[in-house]
Amino acid sequence: MAPSIPAKRQLPSKESTLFKELLTLYETKQLKKGLKAADQILKKFPEHGETLCMKGLLLTHMGKRGEGIETVKKGIRLDITSHIVWHVFGLIQKAEKNYEEALKSYTQALRCDKDNTNILRDAANLQTQLRLYDALVETRHTLLRLRPALRQNWIGLAVAYHLNGQLSDAKQVLEAYEKTLKNVPDYDVEHSEVLLYHVRVLEDLNEFAEALTLLDSNAKSRIIVDRRAIMETRARLLSKLRETEEAEHAWRALIEMNPDCTAYYSGYLSNKDISLESLTDESRPQALHILRDFSSQIPRASAPRRLALTVASGEEFNDLVKDYLSIRISKGIPSLFADVKALYKDPVKRDIVEKTMEELREQLSSLASEPTSYLWTLYFLAQHYSYLGKQSRALSLLDEAIAHTPTLPELYTCKGRVLKRSGDYLGAARSVEDARLLDGQDRFLNTKSAKYLLRAGLVEEASQVLGLFTKKDAQSPGADLEEMQSLLYLIEDGNAHNRNGNLGMALKRYTAIQKVFNDYEDDQFDFHSYSIRKFTILIYLNMIHWEDRLHSFPAYPEAALAASQIYVRLHDDPDLVASLTAPAALTDAEKKAKNKAKKAAHKQEDPKKAANALSNEDKGLEPEPAKDDDPDGTKLLQATDKLEKAAAWLAPLTRLDKDNIHVWIAVYDVSVRRNKWLQAIRALNHARSLDSEHPELHLRLVDLRKRDPSSACAPAIEPAVTAALQELIPDEVSLETYNSQYLQKHSTSPRAILSCARALHRLEAPMEEVENQLFTLFNADVDLDVKTLLAALTFLKEIKSSRAEMFGTSCDSRFELSTAFKSQAELATLRHDNTTESEANQPEETLG
Amino acid sequence: MSSATTTTTSKVSFASLTPNNLGTVRKLNTVLFPIKYSDKFYRDILAPELEDFCKLIYYNDIPVGIICCRLENQSDGTVKLYIMTMGVLAPYRSLGLGSKGLEAILSAAAANSKPKISHVHLHVQISNTEAKRFYERHGFTEVRVHENYYKKIEPRDAWILEKTIEHA
Repeated sequence: MAPSIPAKRQLPSKESTLFKELLTLYETKQLKKGLKAADQILKKFPEHGETLCMKGLLLTHMGKRGEGIETVKKGIRLDITSHIVWHVFGLIQKAEKNYEEALKSYTQALRCDKDNTNILRDAANLQTQLRLYDALVETRHTLLRLRPALRQNWIGLAVAYHLNGQLSDAKQVLEAYEKTLKNVPDYDVEHSEVLLYHVRVLEDLNEFAEALTLLDSNAKSRIIVDRRAIMETRARLLSKLRETEEAEHAWRALIEMNPDCTAYYSGYLSNKDISLESLTDESRPQALHILRDFSSQIPRASAPRRLALTVASGEEFNDLVKDYLSIRISKGIPSLFADVKALYKDPVKRDIVEKTMEELREQLSSLASEPTSYLWTLYFLAQHYSYLGKQSRALSLLDEAIAHTPTLPELYTCKGRVLKRSGDYLGAARSVEDARLLDGQDRFLNTKSAKYLLRAGLVEEASQVLGLFTKKDAQSPGADLEEMQSLLYLIEDGNAHNRNGNLGMALKRYTAIQKVFNDYEDDQFDFHSYSIRKFTILIYLNMIHWEDRLHSFPAYPEAALAASQIYVRLHDDPDLVASLTAPAALTDAEKKAKNKAKKAAHKQEDPKKAANALSNEDKGLEPEPAKDDDPDGTKLLQATDKLEKAAAWLAPLTRLDKDNIHVWIAVYDVSVRRNKWLQAIRALNHARSLDSEHPELHLRLVDLRKRDPSSACAPAIEPAVTAALQELIPDEVSLETYNSQYLQKHSTSPRAILSCARALHRLEAPMEEVENQLFTLFNADVDLDVKTLLAALTFLKEIKSSRAEMFGTSCDSRFELSTAFKSQAELATLRHDNTTESEANQPEETLG
Repeated sequence: MSSATTTTTSKVSFASLTPNNLGTVRKLNTVLFPIKYSDKFYRDILAPELEDFCKLIYYNDIPVGIICCRLENQSDGTVKLYIMTMGVLAPYRSLGLGSKGLEAILSAAAANSKPKISHVHLHVQISNTEAKRFYERHGFTEVRVHENYYKKIEPRDAWILEKTIEHA
């Protein structure tokens, strides 16, 4: 407490005791009594800031959040130098996940009372969350100084040093800590974990000998109890110390303990200076010999056999792969192709696999052989040819397999995949649905079927299929999946809505993904105190590093790029927003139904509100989860800060997904519309360093010069902008010429042709010229694919070309297997033709 | 999914019918038999009292065969088991699957006490001599010919084959 307590804060003895009681009542969560005590004090001292804050805190706990926060703020205004008021405010902000503001409040509180351990502990957690490691070290230091008897304070400081990159300081803290320990119980897991952490710190400091000594002595005396960790660390350290013979024994012991862990084989081989990633002519036969030895010593292990396939070549590969494949074909392992396809990076091996498999199929096609083995060769070969782009060959194999054994779901999912790759999304969905019907309790098949339905744009049907497994009392299958944080569902459903033109729903799903990732980030908060308390340091540090890379995991970049693209589209075309958000014309009956539903919802709310009056129940400090007030995503569409939102989406990616050219293209699109010229130019420079000939980059370069940034930017940066622009896209040739030059260079690339067409459109060339450009996609020497054609068709529709339909027909005839280019009418007919046939009631005839 | 019937690793196993594997049952019936079965058929075979008598036959963990029976109360109070469908996919025939399936049903019939099953019987189309021999190998005998049993396929006549069940 401050030495001289200001007049306003000081309370006479009666109220002062009451206040202390109030604090206890809060801690024991006796909310009603606490409120009464608070009101008693306030009767005599209505301006007592600290009491007001406590009252606000109690109100928030009871659910009256709005009033509570107002009261707290009033309390702060009345007594700004009290640590209690700031602590209370910080608590509330922390519960709202507003960590930056909370830390500010806590820092204020510490200014008023710098040795308050409660506040210090909370501040440490916030500093870790916000990655402010310098401040964290300070805080942990203070905590240790105040309570050196508490073991976790030592560990907290060591971890803080570690996170801040001060490894030797961390080491010193650990050494000092270990000296203070007395009477450690036997087999104490906490102490074991601390020692393993200490060993790791020494390892990271490259003090391998010391690390090994510490590990060995404590392993011998059974103080470290985690046997696997001991073995793995030992092997690693011995290898780093170049104690190759002892290390070899250590790695061998690990392999014997778990013969299917490829990391152990890698370790064994690197110990002998053989790197699996970069084999030389010398190391290759050595590696192969070692792996073959292991394979014969441990017959049940599959890892060494599979690794041997990667290492071997020529005749040896031929023999090994023949064995490997035929054993697994007789066993009937469905995932065999997925296992082996990594070998296809080497075209020689790919061809050997094909030859071997075809021979096997020939052999097994005789009637004397095992029918299931023959079946699995057909399945493997179908996947093989599909992977190599030979979809018709794959289809005929699958049709043969389905005629052979029509009850194997894998055949239908594979067929679905082949059709998808051929561009027939509707047929693919139908096929996977056939698979699903074979086994109603297989959730994997259920999810696959829903995913394929979404890829075909059939969102309603997908929702019904998913509903077979989601919680029955959830608002909708989608709501349950969102709550379960199913990123697969959110991204596929969002993409489907995006393709269907339902941009509001697409944005809604993408925003849900953003929220999931924010939740992942917020979830780590509790562990900052928990892991220190439980001494599980190594896994805690792993988690911190995982969180640091969080936004690089695939669902986020995919959603981010799609969402920012939508926002850019909406920004460019305000009419689009209007057309998407225009309320649908409701019939009279629909209007009545809507009003009825509204009234019913109101009635439900009122009795609920009455019951919610001050109860003694502690509702905690967290705000209630927000109700979904934007069911169709309309609010997202109408947002006025679209570009800012897009920029927020992309921000983590510029740090974590730097090598993805699409990230920089997206950053350009957003910055250039916000008139942030330097940012835009930097983005294009990044893109150019990744792939200077990329079609998307070409389009943006044209776009940039067309915008004439030198005139549009602020005069202060004009010289920099002009210079950078000249570097990126010199002004010697006209933009039209620049565009044609690019086209000539890449005349066989469909993506380049599409890009040039878009550039033509940007340069305001006549519609006919743009259309003609796109029709050149059908030239013989262009290496066409379904996805690019689809993009071209979409573009034609966007610019309202009259020849879009004709283009679509040409696409359709070029890709016969695909249904992606059929008109809406044709698709509807296709869908109808395949609905289940009517059930005619036949008398039961039976056949023995 | 599949329940092992022997202690040694057998390639053959059986599974009871559930609403979730009816899709597989339908698929097998479509491929194996020229007759389309009604929705009532598919409801009836899920009855709990028929669990031992309606089975999917698995070979190497893939469903390749089906047996469906029903219980028939006779006028004299006895109960007969009637085999409605029994079949194995073509590539999997002559591997003993049919025999194993039939034997499983017959043992279940012998062991059944509520109700006590006196006979097992079925229809076999007159053109299907192979099937008749199969059942005869398992102790079935021809009782009589049921003329014009089949309404939509030729020939229309069928044998009625029957086996008496000895109770354990």
